[in-house]
Amino acid sequence: MKIALEALNKHFGKVKAVDNLDLEIGDGEFVALLGPSGCGKTTTLLMLAGIYKPTSGHICFDDRVVNHLLPKERNIGMVFQSYALYPHMTTFDNIAYPLKLKRVRRREIKERVQKSADMMGIGDLLDRKPAQLSGGQQQRVALARALVKEPAILLFDEPLSNLDAKLRLRMRGEIKRLQEDLGVTAVYVTHDQVEAMTMASRIALMNYGVLQTYGTPNQLYDHPDTFFVAGFIGAPPMNFLEMTFEERENGFYLKTQALEIRISAERGALAKQNDIPQRVIMGIRPESVSIVAERDGDFKAEVHLIEPLGREDLVTFRFIDEEIRVLVPAPFDGRIGETICLKLDKEKAHLFNPETEVSVLRTGNGRSS
Amino acid sequence: MLRSKLKPALAYLVLIVPSSLIILGFLWLLITSFSTRVEGLQSLGWTLNNWRFLWESPFGPQYPSIWTVTLNTLVMSLIMTLIVVVVSSLTGYALSRMKFPGRKGFLSLTLILHAFPSVTLLIPIYFVLLWIAKIPLIGRDVPLLGGFGYNTIGGVALVMVAFQLPFGIWIMKGFFDNISWDMERSALIDGASRFKVWWQIIMPNIKPGIAALSIFSFLTAWNAYLIPLTFTAGRAGKSAVLSLYLQNFISESVMTEWNAVAAVGLFQLVPVVLFFLFTQEALLNIYSGGKKGGV
Repeated sequence: MKIALEALNKHFGKVKAVDNLDLEIGDGEFVALLGPSGCGKTTTLLMLAGIYKPTSGHICFDDRVVNHLLPKERNIGMVFQSYALYPHMTTFDNIAYPLKLKRVRRREIKERVQKSADMMGIGDLLDRKPAQLSGGQQQRVALARALVKEPAILLFDEPLSNLDAKLRLRMRGEIKRLQEDLGVTAVYVTHDQVEAMTMASRIALMNYGVLQTYGTPNQLYDHPDTFFVAGFIGAPPMNFLEMTFEERENGFYLKTQALEIRISAERGALAKQNDIPQRVIMGIRPESVSIVAERDGDFKAEVHLIEPLGREDLVTFRFIDEEIRVLVPAPFDGRIGETICLKLDKEKAHLFNPETEVSVLRTGNGRSS
Repeated sequence: MLRSKLKPALAYLVLIVPSSLIILGFLWLLITSFSTRVEGLQSLGWTLNNWRFLWESPFGPQYPSIWTVTLNTLVMSLIMTLIVVVVSSLTGYALSRMKFPGRKGFLSLTLILHAFPSVTLLIPIYFVLLWIAKIPLIGRDVPLLGGFGYNTIGGVALVMVAFQLPFGIWIMKGFFDNISWDMERSALIDGASRFKVWWQIIMPNIKPGIAALSIFSFLTAWNAYLIPLTFTAGRAGKSAVLSLYLQNFISESVMTEWNAVAAVGLFQLVPVVLFFLFTQEALLNIYSGGKKGGV
């Protein structure tokens, strides 16, 4: 089922929890609503579920406005962070509850509950109460309950937050596989960018109730539209340096006290076309900086901190009063205090207007290059 | 080794001393009720005479029998418990879940009412009940209850309900507050109506709260003295309850029959003890702060 949100607003008193949200989700798509806590992502999800009524705007399922429909009339399944199982019912009764409310015949209930419990690998736990199950098992019961009514849309509200790291990784894969196998449209709320990046076909990044950007994980990572997107997506996060933009006869330059880099004529022209101010913020990801021999370097910096990550080492360099973090192949053989030459991959540098926080490298369609 | 045994022993000692004092009192009550006279805990002759009130009216036929009085007490206690539990759980749910103007004010007001000494309200309530008694049908002539006006079981129950409700509402609100919103939302999405959510999902999960409130309300009503005394025509009336019946034995003109008082006292106590025996687990649940193993 397709979902369309049109100029959707939700206000709680004076607080704009969701502010003029437009979003389209294709049939069978897996979309993540990503953002820091309090950014309006859960409010959006609860409006999709029919728990909250929008203050204004439309929610459409397959071109039909569903604003006025009750949760039970929307054919959705939802999985909550707290699992929200019914503690007084057995696993079987928990999963069967949506079917019982639909007055499905008893024999069919039994078959369908068994089927969806087997699918989640909890077929032998049907007579236990939720309190007798582990967190992972409770999560599976919650999933089975959401799936048993064969919903057209699956909603997830941070379903993996309460699981330990190992189990989270496993459930991540299982949920994605399940969604692909069933071909059901899914909306997944999370504050964990890794979850969003790995699971979703598209990510809607929100902040303060406003949609910041909407695109595939790669688009968000490689071509962030705004300063917020650039800083939020990616771990370790992007480095930001305040620089001065200069156009000279032989090309376009970015300058600070410590370094001066030349950017390609094409990118310089694009930036100019987007009214690049004199002072800009340059963003560069830790993997786009490399250690080079002295004659190839853009600038010199002192090793300040080395954090081994296993496959790579995260090294923090200091120069004048700036810091830059760089991912280098492990093992890094430099010592703390040592001065080393660094080179920036200029084609991967991002430039943002400090006033508007918008990328000045965006092309006509709004997507930065 | 010694230390690990000393600690529980000490705990038992601390518990035994005060309990034995109470048990001693009950023991005296038991012995006295079956004796002609007692000296301390020693009986000076056994008799069933004190329990005569069970099969004959000790003060003459114009007085209600013990069984009428017991029925009155039971009806009053059950009616009050029922109303308190139903009203408190509905009100508690609304106060816990819905936002409406005056919600906070209502909550503080009920708290103030709970703290209000009921004695100060006795006279105004008396006039209210007199007025209710004049209303046809519900005022006087309801079977079993008598009605809801002055000198009726229903009227006394009504006043007791009013005094018990603030406490009940706060208790129930607390239990509802402990149930996550997600569970309710989940049930709504699963296809339940608001009423079904309340009845099938919420209510089963606040059973400990309902048990708690029922027990407290029932015991309060069963042992009530001041309110029945004020709002019925007294111990000889058709609406007398057990605590008033007991008063028959203590009078200024005749010597008080302490042995009979002990017997009636024990009789009034029996249902309470039974009640505690069967609800002990629920009571413990309340004191330890709700149920274990919830999600």
